[in-house]
Amino acid sequence: MKGYTQARWPEPLIFELGRSGRSGVTLPKAEEAVKAIGDWRSLAPKNMLRAEPPDLPEVTEVEVVRHYVRLSQMSYGVDLGFYPLGSCTMKYNPKVCEALANLDQVHWIHPYQEEETVQGALELMYKLSSWLAEITGTDAVSLQPAAGAHGEFVGTLIMRAYHKLRGETRIEIIVPDSAHGTNPASAAMAGFKVVVVPTRGDGCIDMEALKSVLSNRTAGLMLTNPNTLGVFEKDIVEIAKMVHEQGGLLYYDGANLNAILGKARPGDMGFDIVHINLHKTFSTPHGGGGPGAGPIGVKKHLEEFLPVPLVRYDGKKYYLDYDLPHSIGKVRAFYGNFEVLVRAFAYILSMGAEGLRKASEVAVLNANYLARKVSRIEGLTVPYGGLVKHEFVASASKLKSATGVETKHVAKRLLDYGVHAPTVYFPLIVGEALMIEPTETEALEEIDRFAEALSSIVNEAREKREAVLNAPHSTSVGLLDEVKASHPKTLSLSWRMMRKRLKTLRG
Amino acid sequence: MKVDDVNIPDDLYYSREHEWARVEGEGVVRIGVTDYAQKMLHEIVFVNLPKEGVSVKQMEALGAVESVKAVSDVYSPVSGRVVAVNQELLNSPELINQDPYGKGWIALIQPDNLKDDLARLLTASQYADYVKRLLKEK
Amino acid sequence: MFMASPYIPNDPEEVRSQMLKSLGLSSVEELFVDIPEEVKLKRSLALPGPLSEVEVRKEVERILKKNRTVKELLCFLGAGVYRHYVPAAVDFVASRSEFLTSYTPYQAEVNQGMLQALFEYQSMICELTAMDVANSSMYDWASALGEAARMAARVTSRYEFVVPHYISPERYMVLRSYAEPAGIRIVEAPQDRETGRIDLERLKAIVSSKTAAVYIENPSYLGFVVDNADEVAEVVHDVGGLYVVGVDPTSLGVLKPPGDYGADIVIGEGQPLGNYMNFGGPLLGIFACRDDPRLVRQMPGRLIGVTTTVKDSDRGFCMVLQTREQHIRRERATSNICTNEALCALRAAVYMVLLGKNGFKELGELIATLTNYAIKLTSEVKGVKAPLFKAFHFKEFTVNLDGAGLKVSDVNKELLKLEIQGGKDLSNEYPELGQTALYCVTEEHTEADLRRLQRSLKLIVEGSG
Repeated sequence: MKGYTQARWPEPLIFELGRSGRSGVTLPKAEEAVKAIGDWRSLAPKNMLRAEPPDLPEVTEVEVVRHYVRLSQMSYGVDLGFYPLGSCTMKYNPKVCEALANLDQVHWIHPYQEEETVQGALELMYKLSSWLAEITGTDAVSLQPAAGAHGEFVGTLIMRAYHKLRGETRIEIIVPDSAHGTNPASAAMAGFKVVVVPTRGDGCIDMEALKSVLSNRTAGLMLTNPNTLGVFEKDIVEIAKMVHEQGGLLYYDGANLNAILGKARPGDMGFDIVHINLHKTFSTPHGGGGPGAGPIGVKKHLEEFLPVPLVRYDGKKYYLDYDLPHSIGKVRAFYGNFEVLVRAFAYILSMGAEGLRKASEVAVLNANYLARKVSRIEGLTVPYGGLVKHEFVASASKLKSATGVETKHVAKRLLDYGVHAPTVYFPLIVGEALMIEPTETEALEEIDRFAEALSSIVNEAREKREAVLNAPHSTSVGLLDEVKASHPKTLSLSWRMMRKRLKTLRG
Repeated sequence: MKVDDVNIPDDLYYSREHEWARVEGEGVVRIGVTDYAQKMLHEIVFVNLPKEGVSVKQMEALGAVESVKAVSDVYSPVSGRVVAVNQELLNSPELINQDPYGKGWIALIQPDNLKDDLARLLTASQYADYVKRLLKEK
Repeated sequence: MFMASPYIPNDPEEVRSQMLKSLGLSSVEELFVDIPEEVKLKRSLALPGPLSEVEVRKEVERILKKNRTVKELLCFLGAGVYRHYVPAAVDFVASRSEFLTSYTPYQAEVNQGMLQALFEYQSMICELTAMDVANSSMYDWASALGEAARMAARVTSRYEFVVPHYISPERYMVLRSYAEPAGIRIVEAPQDRETGRIDLERLKAIVSSKTAAVYIENPSYLGFVVDNADEVAEVVHDVGGLYVVGVDPTSLGVLKPPGDYGADIVIGEGQPLGNYMNFGGPLLGIFACRDDPRLVRQMPGRLIGVTTTVKDSDRGFCMVLQTREQHIRRERATSNICTNEALCALRAAVYMVLLGKNGFKELGELIATLTNYAIKLTSEVKGVKAPLFKAFHFKEFTVNLDGAGLKVSDVNKELLKLEIQGGKDLSNEYPELGQTALYCVTEEHTEADLRRLQRSLKLIVEGSG
C-alpha cells in the first residue's frame, strides 16, 4: 500500500550555486553598424545608471536544468496522482490542449496588432464566449478576468454599477457562512459590507435567516451551487425570487460548476452573474497557483456593464468593441489570459455537449461512491451525506476524540501514501473538515485506493499513532515549522532577508 | 483558580471574548488575552498593537493576535485612552503564550468610565463558569 | 455516438453499473434528483463536438492559422507586452508536469520544489529592484498598480494617489477600477513636455497630508527615463506618503533600481522575463516592497518564506503570513487574489537565472544600443520626429509624423502592406502629441530589421507626395 517515496534532494538555493563568470544563455551582440552610433551610456543620465550589476546567480544551463529538474521531483501534480482538493476540481489536463496552447499562433501575437492579423485569436475568443454563455445559461460573456476571484471582483463591480445607474444606494452583499473566502474578499474590494447567513442542518442556506437580512440595502447574494458542502441548494428558485423581489442581483461562484454541466445551468436557476473557473471545470492546468482564467457571464440586462473590450462579429470579421459607455472599465491590461483560453477551447471541442454532461455525471458518481466508502470508516463521518454532488465534506472529529489524531495529521499522513491531501479545515462550519472532490478523471481503482489509504490511517491512529502524528515521512522534507516561518524574528521572504538575518544572528 | 489546566487569576476582570483587565495603581487598567484564548490560538506569531493615544470604547476592537492560520480580534474590556502598548510583543509575540497575564500584556488604558465598565465584565469565578461550559461543549 | 472518453476512466457502462450498484442505484439520473425539475436542463447543450483528438488539432490549428505572428510580420509594438527571446530551457522547465499540473502549495512538504522555485523568483525580483520582499505574482502590472494604490491607502490611511501625466491608459483604467471602490482619488502629476521629467514644483503643490502615494513609471510608458525620479522620492516622503515606482524589469540590468532611489513599493510587468506575448495574457505582475512591518503585512498576494523542519532543522519553504489572505481573513484580507500567475513566475525565475548577473547587463546594454540606433534611423526620415522627448530612451520611443502630414493609422496600414506592424497609435490617448506612435525595439530586432523600417517609412512618407 505504501511504498511511495518522494525524491529527496538537498537542493541548494540557486544563489548558492554557480561560479563567477558562468552564464546560462547567449545573447546576440550589437552589430557593427549599430555600435557605430556611439556609446549609449553617453546619452544616459548618470544618476539613473545602475552602479553594480544585479546580484543574480552565475550558472550554466547545465546547472540550471539540473536544479529545476530536481525541484520538480520534489513537487506533486495531478499528473503524478490523486489530488482530491475540494472545490479545486483537480481534473486531468488533456495533453492535446497543452500542445495547441503552444502553437506559434498563440505565443507570438501581440494584442495591439491590426485586427485583420489576429482574426484567429478573436474568432477563438468569440466562439469560446458563446459556448460558455450556452453552458451557463447567460447571454453575454467577458473573458477578461485572470482568475475566479478576479471574476468575482468584476461581478461585484457590475452589481455596484447596476445599482448606481438606477440611483440606488445598496451597500450590502450577502454570503453564506460556507462561502469561499474569495467571495467576501471580493465584495469588500468592491466597497460592500458583507452580511453572513448561516447554513441549516440539512446543508442548505438558512432561508429564514436569509429573509431577515434581505432588504433594500442588498446589492446581491453570492452563492455557489452546489455549495461547498457538496449539497445542491434545492430552494434556489425561491432564493432567486426572494433576492430579485428585493431588487438585488444573484451571483454564481463557478467553482463547483463541474457538478452540473449539461444537467442544469446557473442562468436557468435565476443567477444574473456567473463566473467560471477555466482552470477548474475546463481542465486548464493549475500551474502551482496559476495562470487561470475566470470568465464572467451575465444576463442581458447586465451586458452593458461588462469590462471592455468585448469580442464581436459583424458577419464578416471579428473585432474588439470598446463602445460600452456603462462598462465597469477594465480589471487587467488587454483582453484575457489567451493562452489559457486556447486550452479551454480545445477541451470543450474534445468533450462536446455529451462529454461535458458525462464529466459531471461521473464526477458526481465518483463523489457519492467515495462519500459512501468514507462514511463507513470508523472515526470519520460525512455530516451532510445522503446525496452529494461532485464533492463532499468528511469530518475527523470522532477520530480526534477517540485517538487525538486530527485532520491535519491525517492530511500529512496521506502524503506518505502517494496521494495529495484533500482541502482541510474548510468549510469552517464543519469541525476537523476534509473537503474531498475526486473529479471524473479518477478511475475506480484510484478511488478505492484512496478510501483504503484513509482506512489504513484511521487504524494507524489507534495502533501506530506516532506514524500519523509525526507525518509526513516519505516526502522530501518532514513536517515544517510554520510558526518559525511567520515569526517576526525569523521571517525571511527573500535571499536578501535571509542574509540580513544571518548577519544579525551572528552579531 | 484553575479550570482543567486553564489559569484564571482571581484578581482580574474578564470578558466573554477572553480578554482580561487588571486595575493598577493610579487607576490605569492593564489588559491582555486570557490563558484560554492563547491555548485556543496555539503559537502566536503576530500581534497587531493599537496606536498609543487612541481612544477606545468598551468591547471595541483595538488590535488583533494572530497564529499561523487564524486571526483573533482583541476587544478592549474598558473604555478609555491607550497610554502604552507592549512593544516587546512585536519581536516576541510568544510572550502571550508563555505568560498571558504578565509579560504578555497588550496595552495599558487610562479608563474614562471604570466603575460602569467593570460592572459589565465578569469576575474570575463567573469567567471560570463560562470557560467550564465552553470546555464541556467541545 | 460517443467513444469512451480518454479522460473519464469510469465512463464505460460496466464500471458505472458496478459503482451505481454499490450505492443501491440503477441509473446516474438518480444522483441528480436533488436538482428541481423546473431547473433541470431538458435538452443537450448546443455545442460543437465531441471531436476526436485528430479533429480537435485540425480545427484549432485551422482557426489559429488565421493569425499572423511576429515571426512573419516585422513588429514594433510594445506598450505593456513585449517580444523577447524565450530560452529553450525556460519552456523545458515550465512544461515539467510536477510544476505545470500542481496546485497552490498548501501542503508544503510535498511541494518543496515549487515553493523553492517561487522563493527564488521572489529573491531575484528583490535583487533586480533593490527591494527586500516580493510576492510570488499578481495578474499583471495594471492590477498590481491597482493593488498598490489600495495598499498605500491602507498603510497611510490617506486617499489621494498621484500618477504621472504620461501613463499607460490600460493601467490607468485598471487603477480606477481598483481605486474608486476604496474611496481613493486619482490625482495627476504634470510632466515636462520637453524632457518627460516630473514637474517637482507643481508636484510639491499637489502633495499634502492627504497623499497616500506618488506613482511614476520608469522608464515611462512613452519610453523615456525619468531622470529626477530620486527627487520625487523626497517630495512624497516629506509629506509622509509612499513612493511607488513601476518598472520594466529588462531595464534593470543597466538602469538604477527603484530601491536605490527611494521607492517603498515597486511594481511592474514580468512578462518580458521568459514569457511569450500570448495576445496579452497570461502576464505577470511584479509586486515588491521594503522590509518594513508597516508595509509587508499589508502586501497582497502569496508570500513564500524559508524555515526549517520541526524535527531535523532541515531547510524548507512554505507560504507565510497567510493571515493577510482571503482564505483566512475573508472580507478583511489585503486582497481577494487566490490563483495568481505562479507558472509565469516560474518561467521568469528560470529566465533570470539563465541570464544571471552579466546577462541582464548585456541584455540592457544591447536594448539601449538598439533603441538609440532605431531612434537615429527613424529620425533621419524626412518629416519624422523621433523621439518627442529630449531624454534617454530605453526600449520604446515616440515617433511623430506631423512633419510629414500623415496619420499614424494610415502609415500603419501602408506598413502592413510591407509586412511590417508599426508602433501603437497614441493619437487618441494623447492628442496633445499629435500624430505620434509608440515604437518598441528589443534584442529580437536586428540592424537589417531597423534599416528595413527606415526604408519603409521613407517610402511611405515620400510616396504620400
